[in-house]
Amino acid sequence: MTATHEAPSASLPRIFQVWFKLGIQSFGGGVATLALIQRAAVDDENWVTDLEFTRYWALCQIAPGINLFALTILIGRKTGGALGILAALAGLLLPSITITILMTAAYAKIRHAPATQAALRGILPATIGLGLVATIQIVRPLAVAARKEGVDTLIVSGVALIGSGAVIAVWHLPVIFALIGSAVLCALHAWVRSLRRTAES
Amino acid sequence: MNPLTYFLLALKASLLSTGGFGNIPSLHDDLLSRHWATERNFAEALAVGQISPGPNGLWIISLGYLVNGVPGALLSLAAITIPPFLILGVEWLYHKTKHHPAVEGFVRGLALSTVGVFAVVLHRLLSDVGFNARTLLICAASLAIGLSRKVPVVAVLLAAAVVGLIFR
Repeated sequence: MTATHEAPSASLPRIFQVWFKLGIQSFGGGVATLALIQRAAVDDENWVTDLEFTRYWALCQIAPGINLFALTILIGRKTGGALGILAALAGLLLPSITITILMTAAYAKIRHAPATQAALRGILPATIGLGLVATIQIVRPLAVAARKEGVDTLIVSGVALIGSGAVIAVWHLPVIFALIGSAVLCALHAWVRSLRRTAES
Repeated sequence: MNPLTYFLLALKASLLSTGGFGNIPSLHDDLLSRHWATERNFAEALAVGQISPGPNGLWIISLGYLVNGVPGALLSLAAITIPPFLILGVEWLYHKTKHHPAVEGFVRGLALSTVGVFAVVLHRLLSDVGFNARTLLICAASLAIGLSRKVPVVAVLLAAAVVGLIFR
């Protein structure tokens, strides 16, 4: 039984309204927005259970692109089928896209002003620092999991990470080589590892 | 700039990555080699994306605008909206295969690679802004404050802007 066959559990205007409110409130990036969505979908609207939400979020890590979009799509489908997906995405995106475009347009107008340049010399390094935070947050769970699995996984993970950087920095190859090379390496290692474990037990 | 090519490059970058920042390295590579965007454009778009509401992945909307105005922003929007729909296939596959070890390894490899490549890109953005004591101090301070998770991102960026304005 998949979610597709379940009866829609909310009206389209209601779905749009809830996601629109989330779209306006979602200042502060992914973690803050995720918490907002959880409160709205699980606690306030009873659209999904706690367990469903956790499973959805785990699956969203595998989907390409922005994880929050994928989560919106899954919850949207649960609540209103194909139209529910559209209502949820439109509600989430309409306010945030509009504000992003307006902010960029305003910035483009004043980008050459001396004050803007001075502010940017502060903002740009801060953006890079915050980008490092995002990077560390991705690495940390991976590193913890690899250490638990053993030295071999730790070494393979290190090779994948540093190798990918080297492919770009030293050999100037297209990024896709780094991504696929690293993914295939880790897939093969995980597979061989599980085969060996079944053979042992 | 060719709009269709831009859309396809953005779509490729998003399809082959996870998370809102995963598409940066590939797009950075493709747009810079075609001279359609500058290092500075990427840093600017990332800054706007951090300040504006919605997922951080919306930075690419800002980049699209800087590169090609409102049409560019809408092309970016289309390019990042399509890939997450593959979640429907992922969920279906999940019900079929549950957990095959190779699948988990593949996903982990993608994530690790994104991080390695992203580190290189951040280094290039930083050298574009210019290596000096102030830049590195602001970068390190925002990293430390960001890791503590106690201060909203917008507040960190506003504080950095003020520092930039005061210490010209």
